[in-house]
Amino acid sequence: MRKIFLIVLTAILPASVMAQNFNKHLATAKSSYSAGKLEDSRFAMEQMMQELDITIGKEVLKLLPAKLDNLNMNAAADNVTGTNGFLGVNIHRDYGTAEKKAEIDMITNSPLVASINTILSIPFVGNSADGNQKRVKIDGYKGLLQKNVDSETQKPSYELQMPFNSTLLTFRMGNADEAEVLKMAALIPIAEIAKMLQ
Amino acid sequence: MMKNAIKLLLVSLVLTGISPANAQGLLKKIKQKAEQAAERVADKKIDKAIEDKTGVSSGNQNAGGPGSSGGSSGKNSPGNKGGAGLVTTPPDVNANLGDAEAAFKANNYGEARYAVQQAMLGVEMEIGKKILAGLPETVSGLKTIKEEDKVTSTGWGWVGLTIQRKYGEGDKQLTTTIANNSVWMSAVNMYLANGGYAQTSSDNQKWKQTKVKGNKAIIEYDEGSGYKLTVPIGQTSLIIWEGVNFATEQDIMSAANSFDIDGVKKTLGEK
Repeated sequence: MRKIFLIVLTAILPASVMAQNFNKHLATAKSSYSAGKLEDSRFAMEQMMQELDITIGKEVLKLLPAKLDNLNMNAAADNVTGTNGFLGVNIHRDYGTAEKKAEIDMITNSPLVASINTILSIPFVGNSADGNQKRVKIDGYKGLLQKNVDSETQKPSYELQMPFNSTLLTFRMGNADEAEVLKMAALIPIAEIAKMLQ
Repeated sequence: MMKNAIKLLLVSLVLTGISPANAQGLLKKIKQKAEQAAERVADKKIDKAIEDKTGVSSGNQNAGGPGSSGGSSGKNSPGNKGGAGLVTTPPDVNANLGDAEAAFKANNYGEARYAVQQAMLGVEMEIGKKILAGLPETVSGLKTIKEEDKVTSTGWGWVGLTIQRKYGEGDKQLTTTIANNSVWMSAVNMYLANGGYAQTSSDNQKWKQTKVKGNKAIIEYDEGSGYKLTVPIGQTSLIIWEGVNFATEQDIMSAANSFDIDGVKKTLGEK
């Protein structure tokens, strides 16, 4: 019984701390603004933004499946880092073991989104002649799939980059073939994530 | 076909009593007009063929240039003659903070983020206006160009807040830019911290370190654009003065010295 209580407490505690921080910064922002301390109010707002970014990141992690086909998630590797303003937030999760690993990384407010979008909008550039880079579509979202072959082991690894809104999602998978990578990528609930990160 | 039409016209003219001499003059004119029309049609066809092949529009139709009303694209699209523009009221800070609170309570984090961003935009615009109000009205005899006063905020942190005021008199101009949370900061601080960029003693000295009211600064000179003085203030802000047609280095330095740098620093919350 005590164990269950502890588990529930550890699950709820971070969220309530987050809410407390947000409310504390909100109160500071409001009172500083009323007192004409504009710079203090602005700083409190920046803090609010960071709290929000991290909260959003954690919500996104909840949307990701616990299992990607036969690969289990590594809960300890879950990570949300909020940078202030510039890059928004980095969200990371990985699945599987060193032998066969899949990684998901999302960067909100990413400056890379524009360049990937350019590649995606020009078919001629998107598909390379050697077949190592091509445009794919998953769940209605366009993405850029790149194949790399390890020069020593000759094993291929794939990287799929998908921009949506101002977020860049990168899905990496080693020791797999293209069909497997696309099958795994299709399990990521992109539409729901996009809604959360809009 | 054209010949038949001309013959028919000639016959009808003769029949209606016009003298052959008059008729011949008229005929000549008609022939000329017909030839000109034919030439125009041929020109257009050639132009179109070129356009189809190369994708570049031929100059014939756009001889008037982009501003001309008779350009090919302007045929059916009228130019805008003026309007009231956009309302430049900054976002209401209190209302947006209220929205953020409500959205956060409802676990609607995306909306909350947007509202905080808007509130930040609002407060940054106010900071900018406060700073503009604290800047001198005249500098070294140059008057403020009021309509050029500018506060730009991204509400984003990255480029942050930029405040600009221009002073001018004749062909002499001073542009003051105050940037907060600026990405340029690191570049400027690198200059100041790195002795490797120290000044040279050659004749074409383009920049050197200096001080404005006790603050470390960099002064640059370019034959084309004039003097540029950059002063980092605090941790994340900088002031840039760009002087066009300033006679000497001393001239721009005394202009910069008439600014209340500490006041700007305080308003921006810099230490």
